[in-house]
Amino acid sequence: MSIEAINEQLLRAIGVGVALIDLDDMTLHFRNDTFNEWFGENDANAKLGDLFPALDIDALTAEMSNGGKLATETSFKLRRRTMTVALEFNHTPDTAQNIAVLVCQNITRIKELESMIDSYSMMVERNTHEIKREKEQVEKLLLNMMPRAVYDEYKTFGVVAPRLFDPVSVLSLDFVGFDDLSSQQDPGVIVSELNDIYSALDRIGEQFGCRRIRTNGDSYVAVAGVPDPNEDHALAVVNSAVRFLRYLQRRNETHPIQWQARIGVASGSVIGSVVGTQNYIYDVFGPTVTEALQFRAAAEPMSICASSDFTGTLNGKFELESVPPGSADYSASLECVRIEELNDSTA
Amino acid sequence: MERSLFDKYGGFSTISKVVLELYNRLLDDDDVGPFFDDVDMPRLMDHQTKFVSSLMGGPASFTDDHIERAHRHMDIHDLHFDRLKEIVAGVLEDFEVAPEDIETIVGAFEARRAILIEKPNVN
Repeated sequence: MSIEAINEQLLRAIGVGVALIDLDDMTLHFRNDTFNEWFGENDANAKLGDLFPALDIDALTAEMSNGGKLATETSFKLRRRTMTVALEFNHTPDTAQNIAVLVCQNITRIKELESMIDSYSMMVERNTHEIKREKEQVEKLLLNMMPRAVYDEYKTFGVVAPRLFDPVSVLSLDFVGFDDLSSQQDPGVIVSELNDIYSALDRIGEQFGCRRIRTNGDSYVAVAGVPDPNEDHALAVVNSAVRFLRYLQRRNETHPIQWQARIGVASGSVIGSVVGTQNYIYDVFGPTVTEALQFRAAAEPMSICASSDFTGTLNGKFELESVPPGSADYSASLECVRIEELNDSTA
Repeated sequence: MERSLFDKYGGFSTISKVVLELYNRLLDDDDVGPFFDDVDMPRLMDHQTKFVSSLMGGPASFTDDHIERAHRHMDIHDLHFDRLKEIVAGVLEDFEVAPEDIETIVGAFEARRAILIEKPNVN
C-alpha cells in the first residue's frame, strides 16, 4: 500500500469530518467517512451551500481569498439527537488549485454539557436566592426580638453574654382596666387595637431613641441606652412617654375603646441578655425595671410618674408635680413625681 | 437533616454523568424517544437535569401539579412509563447506585404514574 493510500485510509477512519472544497465552484472533492456519516453521502455535484444552508458563502470566499481561515458551527438532527459540529475552513497554500480543507469537530457533547450546566446553575441560583430570602426573613424576625448588636453577637458566637448597661432609663406602660376591657370585648378587637397602639408606640419611641423590649398583655416596656449608650436616656424615655399619652388622647377622641395608660419611668442599671435556649427572647431586668414598674403602678390614668432623683435630671424641660405619699394605689410610701409637658411646649 | 441521595452520590459531578447517559438512552429508545422528536436539545437537557436532580433530592423540586401540566399534551401510556422506569433504573445501576436507593428513586417516580397517564384535568 502506498503512503498516499495509507494517508487516505487514515483520513477516512478518523473521528473528525474532513472534506476538500473547491472554492471556485464550492463543490466537495473529497469527504471522509465521518463527514459522510454526519452530512450524508450526497451526490458528487452537491455544493457546500446545499450541505450547510446557513453558511455565509460570501464571507467564506472573502476569508479564503485572503488566505485566512473561517471557523463556524452548524447544528442538525441525526435521528433524534441535535448534533453540533464546529467547522473550520483552511485555505491550502497550493496555488495550482483553489482548495480549502474543511475540518469538522463534533462538539455535540460540549453543547449538551453547556446546556446542562446552564440548567443546573439556574436551579442553584434560584435556590440560593430563596435561601437568602428566607435568611433575611429569619433575621428580620430575630431583629424584632433583640437589638442588632445583640443579634450580631448571637449570630457570631451562638450565645449572648449578659451585660450590665449603666446608666439607662426604663419606661413601663400599662392600661387601666385592661382586664375588664379584654373580658368585655372580642379578643380579635383587643389584639388588633393593641397591635395598632404598640406599633405606634414603637414608632414614636424609635424617634426619641427608645426601644421596646417586651410586651406582655397590656404591659409595654421600653428602654433608652441599651445596647448603645445614650447620655440623654432619661430625656429619651420622658419625651417618648409624653408623646405616648398625647397619641392615646388623640386616638381616644376618634375610637370607641378608651385606652387609659399609666406610665412609670426610672433610671439606673439593667442587665440585658438573651434568656432561654429554645424559646429565647432578649430581655432586660434589674432594680431599675422594678422601679419603673412600681412608678407605673403608682401613676394615675394618663399620667407619667417617676422618682424625684429621676426628675432632677430633666433640667426643667417638663412640668413636675410632687404627688404626696399615700395618694398612690400601689405603694403608700413611694415618693412620686408626676411629669407633664410644659404648657408652652411646642415639641 | 437526612442526607439526600443527590449528596450521597457525589452531587452534580455524578448527576451530570447520569443525566448525559439518560439523555443518550432516551433518544436511542424507540418507545420513549419519539416523545422528544421535536424537542430541542437545550430544553430536553434542562428537562433531564431537573428530572434527575429532583428524583435524587437535588436542587430542584416540582409539585405534582407542575408535572401534570408539563406532560398534559403528551399521549403517555403505561408502556412508556414502564420503559422510562426501566431506563432510569438501568442508568442508575450502571452508576453503581445501591439497589435500595434505586428502589427509592424509582418508587418516587412510580408515585407519579397516575398524574402522567390518567391526566385528570383533561376533558
